[in-house]
Amino acid sequence: MSRKRLAISVAAALVLALGATACMGDDDDDAAATTTDTAAETTATGGGSGETVKIIASVPPTDHGWLGAISKDAQAAAEKHDDVEFELLQAADADSQAQQIQQAISQKPDVLVVLPQDGAALTPVAQQAERAGIRVVNVDRLFTAPDAATATILGDNYQIGVLAANYIADELKCQGNVVEIQGLAGISVTEDRTKGFTDTIRQKCPDGGLKIVASQPGDFNPDKGLTVMENILQAQSDIDAVYTHDDDMAQGVVQAIRNAGRDDEMFLTGVGGSQDAMQQIKEGGLYRATFLYNPNMAASAVNMARLIGLGEGFAELVPPEVPRQVVVPAAVVTQDNVDEYEQYAFD
Amino acid sequence: MTDTAQTWRGALGRAKALEFQEYALAIVVVLLFIAGAILKPDTFPTWDNIRNMLTQSSVVGVLAIGMTFVIATAGIDLSVGSMVAAAGVFGGIMVGTDGTSSLVFILAAILFATFLGTCNATAIAYGRVVPFIATLAMFSIARGLALLLNDKLPVSLLDLNGGSFGDPRPFSLLWFGVGRIFGIPVSVFVFLAIAILGWVVLNRTRYGRYVIAVGGNREAARIAGVPVRRIIFSVYVLSGFLAGISTVLLCARLGSASPVSGNLYELDAIGAVVIGGTSLAGGRASIVGTFLGVLTFALIFSLMTQLNMSTEIQQVTKGLIVLGAVLLQRPEARY
Repeated sequence: MSRKRLAISVAAALVLALGATACMGDDDDDAAATTTDTAAETTATGGGSGETVKIIASVPPTDHGWLGAISKDAQAAAEKHDDVEFELLQAADADSQAQQIQQAISQKPDVLVVLPQDGAALTPVAQQAERAGIRVVNVDRLFTAPDAATATILGDNYQIGVLAANYIADELKCQGNVVEIQGLAGISVTEDRTKGFTDTIRQKCPDGGLKIVASQPGDFNPDKGLTVMENILQAQSDIDAVYTHDDDMAQGVVQAIRNAGRDDEMFLTGVGGSQDAMQQIKEGGLYRATFLYNPNMAASAVNMARLIGLGEGFAELVPPEVPRQVVVPAAVVTQDNVDEYEQYAFD
Repeated sequence: MTDTAQTWRGALGRAKALEFQEYALAIVVVLLFIAGAILKPDTFPTWDNIRNMLTQSSVVGVLAIGMTFVIATAGIDLSVGSMVAAAGVFGGIMVGTDGTSSLVFILAAILFATFLGTCNATAIAYGRVVPFIATLAMFSIARGLALLLNDKLPVSLLDLNGGSFGDPRPFSLLWFGVGRIFGIPVSVFVFLAIAILGWVVLNRTRYGRYVIAVGGNREAARIAGVPVRRIIFSVYVLSGFLAGISTVLLCARLGSASPVSGNLYELDAIGAVVIGGTSLAGGRASIVGTFLGVLTFALIFSLMTQLNMSTEIQQVTKGLIVLGAVLLQRPEARY
């Protein structure tokens, strides 16, 4: 009996230890992420008025290079200002993000910066914050009600599709077969990137010489990208270009093409602007271009939040108030201009 | 289960049902292949595509063999996909930036996955945690570790092949993904070898009989002198070990180890095992069925991608085929 109990307690301890390491890990991570910059009021330079702005940012789980860069850029932007007291919260999913924001509301920050896991699901809690007098800055994924945010900053997903279509159509002179590896099915980011692409191909090459021969989701995930592309390579004997929705996922697609020994047959484009992608664009070959969807919009979001909190604006604008919506332009990165854009690459 | 005669009749019935199920699933595989050959005559029934489907099967296939043993004991392992991700990233950071030894990666990945499997095994066999809960915890822990180990970033493994893609040396990491022996990919050989070994162990050894016995009636097995706890312990360690092998096969093809890889592989593995006729209630298992189940999924995936069907339709079709495959099979096993 005692042996049994010993075994059980040892096992329990093991499980607990495992749990603890996991938690510790999490804590570590959070600690790194939630470093609070409390600025001494006397040294405040930016505002000049001597007051501090308390900003809390909430982002989805950063299990992806782009989201990781979002967190880092927001943190870095906050550290540049002495008059900003900043806290970053990472949520595990849409539900816990809602709870997290509710808790944040009770801490009464001046401004909330929110990149929602799911815009529609988090709209009510954002409205709640606005009603409680906390300004909300919405990043990238849109809330579904106009009174849920004071300001919004987002990338232009439709434009990314347009740029990719223009680039591929020009390179192929409107003649050839194109494969599209999409992101996660059913979210606006994916739908917009696809719609911009197909609309533009139709307008630009009305004779139908440029055909989208396959279009399948790779879920922003390299191993899904790999297997989907393997199957498409089987089905399509003649591919000229591949438009992928994401640089991380594109690495799996690249690998499928290389494993099949068909890297001379086609070229590929990504979206995002990761270090890896830029490196391969520089080297030349299969990876020909990426379309910038820059995570440093998070830095802009924090700066906007600060100005809103201070009641200031952009001097160049008339009136100077922070605009309701800022759309960050997408840019084409190719071998010709990669040196210029490399500074914005994220890993 | 007190009446011996009845038990025997039940066992015989089960054995017959299992055979029929294997035939039925083989028919599903053949039908899917014929459907592919009719719908895509130029690109589907080719040697190249068969090779492609077998290669794609190998990753989930190896997991499914381990899952068959786990489910045979009336257990479940929800953590295999997360373990694949964690083991890959762990192997990747062990190699480091200047590492050139594939062996380091392979050993590190397999050892780490086996270690995680052993944690599952300890919690379940000695901590008496319900398998569903213990492996659900590991599902979360291993995914967290995968993200934590390299600060959420993927690790490139191309250096293990001198940074190039062409013709990997035998026994280098990439060779397991793209290398071929007699025109057949190495990963397919690995999968087939593990499937055959799994079949022999499950059907032709005392250990295999014990696994089935534990799943069939734990109390009876204990009274008959089967080391129940050790058997249960062993299947989760095995599942972890095979997750390590699966990691090697995946990373070899991908040329990198990503913390988001292996997402929901456990569902494909469990699905393949179940349509293969292994009972979730334990006590009945079929490696041949699992093998055919894995092939069924690969055929469906390949065919639907080739037909460029939208995801919604793919999901509905896959679900219907799984349901159909089970309905077509054993009336007695539906409830």
